[in-house]
Amino acid sequence: MIMFKASYFDGKRSCGLPVYINLQGATIYIQSEDGLPLLSVPLRECEISPPLGKTSRTIRFPNGAQCETVDLAAVETLWKNHGGKSLMNFVNCLESRWKMVGICLIGLVIFVLILSKYAIPLASKKIAFSLPHHLTDELSRSTLEILDYKYLKTSVLDDKVKNELKDIFFVLHEEIDPGSYYRLEFRKSPLIGPNAFALPSGLILITDELVEISQDNKELIGIMAHEVAHVKYRHGLRSVFQNSGIFLLISSLFGDVTSITSIGATLPTLLARSGYSREFEREADQTAGLYLIQKGWSTKPYQHILMRITKNVHSYPEESVFSSHPIAQERVFDLQKLEDNKIIKDTLIKN
Amino acid sequence: MDNLICKNCGLSTSKVDLKGISHICPGCGSSLETEVYKKENGTDDIQMQSEESRLYYPRFTGSANEYFKIWIVNTFLTIITLGIYAAWAKVRNRQYIYKNTLLDDQPFEYTANPVAILKGNLIVASGAIIYFLTYFYKPMYSAIVVGLFYLILPFLIFKSLKFIAHNSAYRNIRFRFLGNMKESYRIYIFYPILILFTLGLIIPYWAFKKKEYFFNNFAFGATANSFNGKAKRFYKIYLSAFVIFIISILILGFIFFTVLIKSGLTSADVSNKSFIMKNVIIAYALMIVVVTYFQQFIYARITNYCWEHSNLGSLRFRSTLKAGTLFFIRITNILAIILSIGLLIPWAKIRKTRYILNNITIMSEKELDDFKAFIESDVSAYGVSATEAFDFDIGL
Repeated sequence: MIMFKASYFDGKRSCGLPVYINLQGATIYIQSEDGLPLLSVPLRECEISPPLGKTSRTIRFPNGAQCETVDLAAVETLWKNHGGKSLMNFVNCLESRWKMVGICLIGLVIFVLILSKYAIPLASKKIAFSLPHHLTDELSRSTLEILDYKYLKTSVLDDKVKNELKDIFFVLHEEIDPGSYYRLEFRKSPLIGPNAFALPSGLILITDELVEISQDNKELIGIMAHEVAHVKYRHGLRSVFQNSGIFLLISSLFGDVTSITSIGATLPTLLARSGYSREFEREADQTAGLYLIQKGWSTKPYQHILMRITKNVHSYPEESVFSSHPIAQERVFDLQKLEDNKIIKDTLIKN
Repeated sequence: MDNLICKNCGLSTSKVDLKGISHICPGCGSSLETEVYKKENGTDDIQMQSEESRLYYPRFTGSANEYFKIWIVNTFLTIITLGIYAAWAKVRNRQYIYKNTLLDDQPFEYTANPVAILKGNLIVASGAIIYFLTYFYKPMYSAIVVGLFYLILPFLIFKSLKFIAHNSAYRNIRFRFLGNMKESYRIYIFYPILILFTLGLIIPYWAFKKKEYFFNNFAFGATANSFNGKAKRFYKIYLSAFVIFIISILILGFIFFTVLIKSGLTSADVSNKSFIMKNVIIAYALMIVVVTYFQQFIYARITNYCWEHSNLGSLRFRSTLKAGTLFFIRITNILAIILSIGLLIPWAKIRKTRYILNNITIMSEKELDDFKAFIESDVSAYGVSATEAFDFDIGL
């Protein structure tokens, strides 16, 4: 038998009545302070609020009345007799032990790392590679429309130059990614300056400004190989999916504090985003570098044009932590390293 | 001011509508009658406080320590269930705050059914997926999806207000939200459109309408709250906030550039990118500080004003929030959250809640146990919530 104090609220008026709750067998008896019986209810018909920190607990009766009590130990016994093996009981077990909270915190960190480092990139990759062509074409078409409308103008390059580059491009994409559809187009863009883009459909855009600052077709081959690699590995689609995944992850982490999210959530999203893009840029650079080395042209021309682009694009975010392109110096350094390693390997094989 | 009473459901309100349209009970739809008992003259006056009126101070007993544990565990469960548990986490977090808010030693309660919230979350999630797919495949149409979202937003806000009120209870009496959907559409679609045409001059009026929508429509059991605030005051608050904003921008801008020039600014510096970056970051941080003060000033003044111009039956409220303190709490909270990579979120929330609740006083001529439940909702107290599944944190 358990007996404890509680406040009784009938659910019709806001006045509370101090009562005693008395558990006998499987029935609870509620009686007023002076011992008058008020109500008796089978325990299993009551609804007991789950334990939550040191907050008071509520016992709800079928008639809409309820009792509120701060005698947590007594309610706990009641809850156990009631068969309170609910999900919230388990949650409360975790919440009330520092050790479990610590484990949850570690689990949280590990899970977030696994999701953001492996699961989301892997899922994005799978989805990106399984998308049918007509969808990626449609997407590229509308993206091109927006690009053309906002930044690009019709190319004013000589047809001879264009055709020469298109011929080079044909050989190049057949060698890097045989059997896939690719197309090279030119646009003038004073706004963007020397640059190149790849759309998921295999359309590669080169700006007139880029052709103008190039001193050798091998330099442009490096750029084209880089863009073809973006398409081959579906970097564009993958980064869209990854960014959405990260955004979802962060908003579910900080979702409870809407007001702070604005500042708190954008920062990690930005950081994660630039981290992913850097990886993709590296992969594309590597493909381009290996192609040039394999052709026996060395990565030097590609290095040169990268440095020149950096100098020419005024707004190139050299020192920004958020830049998606790895700093040009770093990229050139990586290319050089790639070439040196290759030479060492080749000499080893020959000997 | 006469009290109106509904003979059908027992709702009583002191709302006065000169056009006489609202002499229909917002709760059950039957006609309202003037209550026989009339209040003494001068009850509208806030200063008026009869000697017998009792003062109640809400007490907030939540601890950052305890809430941290709850928050970590529930966030963890949300993440490993890929968001499904979020509904349960929400109920638990909110219940912790409610249960630790004591008025006259009795706690508030949040009674939402997590399954109902899960349904709402799923609906919102499918909306987001539709938006994402459209944006991805037909970017041209994504504007239409956004448009549709704004079209249903007033509906969601209305449902959410109803849901939250219905699931908030004190002394086993539920709160209610009596506003109607039409008004929600007027407030969340019509006025925002007018902002463009009025060059923003309508913003204070819009803020007023939003507050009025809430304060004039919530009810505790059968007792409806009535709000007698005026839009004029909102214009005054916004004007002072705006003046403070401009002055602080001018002063800070002046100091910023003076320091910059004094420190020996050379033309080499101007073209140095890291130098520019550093100063852009400083300027941005200063901007955040100024904007935060602006927001907190408006929040403090408006919240104080709205509570002081509300009466819930015989209850009156006083709110004494200070813009400076709120601003300090907010800035230090943001810093703490950033520096702790989010771990101090629970601490920040408890701290802010405690400050706001500690500044509310409730004045009552009678004891707090004289409120009646709204009978209709009382019968079907459980299960109603299943149809109203939305619970969004609306910045009220």
